[in-house]
Amino acid sequence: METLPQAEFQTVQDFIFLEAKYADESRYDEWEALLTDDMMYRVPAGDGHDPSDLAPSIINDNRSRIATRLRQLRTGTRHSQAPISVMRRLISNLTVARHGADEYRAEANFVVYEYQTQSVNQIVTWPGQVQYALRRTAEGLRLCGKTVWLIHRSGPIPTLSFLI
Amino acid sequence: MTRMQDLIGRTTVHSRLYTDAAIFSQEMHRIFTETWVFIAHHSEIPQRGDFIRRTIGTEPVIVVRTATGVNVLANRCTHRGNLLCQPDHGRKRNFACQYHGWVFDPDGNLVDIPYPAGATADRSKLGLRRATVDTYRGFVFATFAKHPVPLLEHLGNARQALDRASDLSPEGEIEVGRTWVKHLFQANWKMLSENEADGYHVNFVHDSFAKGIKLQGKYDNVLTSEEDKFTAVVRALGNGHTELDYAATYQQPLTWLGVKPDRYPGYNEAMYSRHGEERAKEIMRAGPPHTFIFPNLFLAETCLVVIQPLAVGRTVNWHTPMMLKGAPHELNQRILRQGEVAMGPSSFLTADDAIIAERQWRALDGSPGWLDLTRGLDRETIREDGVVVSHYTDEAPNRGFWQHYLRVMEPGAMQVAA
Repeated sequence: METLPQAEFQTVQDFIFLEAKYADESRYDEWEALLTDDMMYRVPAGDGHDPSDLAPSIINDNRSRIATRLRQLRTGTRHSQAPISVMRRLISNLTVARHGADEYRAEANFVVYEYQTQSVNQIVTWPGQVQYALRRTAEGLRLCGKTVWLIHRSGPIPTLSFLI
Repeated sequence: MTRMQDLIGRTTVHSRLYTDAAIFSQEMHRIFTETWVFIAHHSEIPQRGDFIRRTIGTEPVIVVRTATGVNVLANRCTHRGNLLCQPDHGRKRNFACQYHGWVFDPDGNLVDIPYPAGATADRSKLGLRRATVDTYRGFVFATFAKHPVPLLEHLGNARQALDRASDLSPEGEIEVGRTWVKHLFQANWKMLSENEADGYHVNFVHDSFAKGIKLQGKYDNVLTSEEDKFTAVVRALGNGHTELDYAATYQQPLTWLGVKPDRYPGYNEAMYSRHGEERAKEIMRAGPPHTFIFPNLFLAETCLVVIQPLAVGRTVNWHTPMMLKGAPHELNQRILRQGEVAMGPSSFLTADDAIIAERQWRALDGSPGWLDLTRGLDRETIREDGVVVSHYTDEAPNRGFWQHYLRVMEPGAMQVAA
């Protein structure tokens, strides 16, 4: 893989950290402003080897469904995020590569520490790998794809209605 | 020992039924081991030797396709009790224990003991425990009861819900893939079971969905706030089975799928040729069932849902889309995407149901007492076949659930008059 110039890598990393911060703080409007109109947001389920394109996902949102998800979160009666979870995430092992003329593909390991405040009042940890698709636009970098591979995606997982 | 009839009345139940670990253990035996439970769909194990791991209550079992049908075997080596089969799915000729190498065939027979010169055990008495298995339209049910009632008798009026799900397929069968999404609820399994046919909660628990979705959709009728405008109904079907029925809210075929009737011409043609046009149109208008089959199966419209109890306050809700065999791929993709809206940890609906169930469980655990199930008592009607029908927001399904629960948990109990 071609090594990116440090400044270019830094720009991508800064963007990824900003996206993480907005997600941690449930800042829905600012998070949504980072997305392209064709953004896809995915959290696959199962062992990851199911060849069927009819396998269910935990999340498989196109842009319109992301918008609905955010509208639901903003109502204040989305019980699974009312009150919102208190969260902080760590992102590491970041790699970034150019993709075509105006995009990047990035991968990182992550763990989200969620204090679940809606019912059980416990710390929930959400570890996994995250893949980003980023695009350079006139307004700066934008997120056009995010796929979150939870390590426990084939087992029972608790409610996950915040932005992971 | 607590008598169940002291905890269950005609219109009231005690919170201990949801929080007492001793009652949970009794349920695993009396309900999950001794009555029929849903275990798999036959499309999950299409070829001879295909197996999946499941549980009957908390007991691990292997579900395996044989030359003649489906076997459900205790997943426990008869030698030293090791879990015989660890993978979730696969294909095997035999099941060999990894502890001391005992080998069992798919009928559960013990066929090999390593180092036979020292083996004094009687092989014929050391086969795996085998459940009684029966299948209706590809839905496989099992029970460890010694003398089970016939499956069709257990299903009773709920059998029509399995027909309703299957008849939407141009080949008369639903299909289930390999991937299930598993959602952990830190709540009692009965909170899930009862919620499946609870129409009353919809406008409160799912208020944010109604506001967020913006578009007109298939649930318009029940997202109204006026009590006299609901045309959907609830039913207690008998034997603890319950349902919500949205059929009366749909004017045209495929409204339940959120599309116009002519969206999939190939599907329409295939359905007309199977059922005749008039019958096909009625099947496609009425749509899929929203039916709970006691104690662990929920036909959640386009999703198949299994309720797996782990402990008195822990339950896993499994779901996977019910694909219509022979339907166009695009239609099944829509079924998939629609299921992801409703079901699962990040869905627009059950994510909130889970949180409410978890709050309810915590409140009941810390603050024991009686719960009220009187709603709709004066306006329900009992059909000739015994099915109780009532307003969408009424608690007839809860009452039907608990009457059956009492019969199963305490066979000798004095029955409360209906």
